Amino acid sequence: MAWISLVIAGLFEMSGVAMMNQYTKDRKWRSLLLLIVSFGASFFFLSIAMDTLPMGTAYAIWTGIGASGGAIIGMLFYGESKDWKRLVFIAMVLSAAVGLKLVS
Amino acid sequence: MNRDWIKVFLAAVFEVFWVIGLKHADSILEWSGTVIAIAVSFYGLIVAGRRLPVGTVYAVFVGLGTAGTAAADILFFGVPFSLPKVLLIVLLLVGVIGLKMVTDEKAAEGVES
Repeated sequence: MAWISLVIAGLFEMSGVAMMNQYTKDRKWRSLLLLIVSFGASFFFLSIAMDTLPMGTAYAIWTGIGASGGAIIGMLFYGESKDWKRLVFIAMVLSAAVGLKLVS
Repeated sequence: MNRDWIKVFLAAVFEVFWVIGLKHADSILEWSGTVIAIAVSFYGLIVAGRRLPVGTVYAVFVGLGTAGTAAADILFFGVPFSLPKVLLIVLLLVGVIGLKMVTDEKAAEGVES
């Protein structure tokens, strides 16, 4: 159950990042509202997951799914650069962040 | 261009504040500060995302926030210093600087067109 909550939390974070993209594009209230609801739901499911999973592990996986998923959605649907150097640096930042959360 | 990166940086600083707040806040004043810090950091992200790619902005925000939180734990909350943590923070900063360099190239092309 905790693991399912964690994956759902990561998916809502992805949706939050996608809505951030959407909002900067269309500046509509609907996108802003979806952004807030997505991150709100994401934090809610993350806190459920943290009831049973160790905090560092839960945080690491949540970050990994949300931020890398958000970047992939950005490339697929919002025309963000697919330059390999950008992908390498994003992977470097995110894997270091996941690592830090796992060791702390 | 640099102003947008400063916004991402400030958003990450406020992220460190609210992560500390979520962990340690125990009065109405501290909780209000935490909520304000969340609002400020997301506002900074949205504003920065107008000119920089959102995927990059979010990765840098998450990364710097994590590094800042780990550093704050060591500096202010008595969490022991460890070599792997410091190496990961260095790797993370190299990634952020790299992203800033490759993003600037793209943005410069965009400004000319």
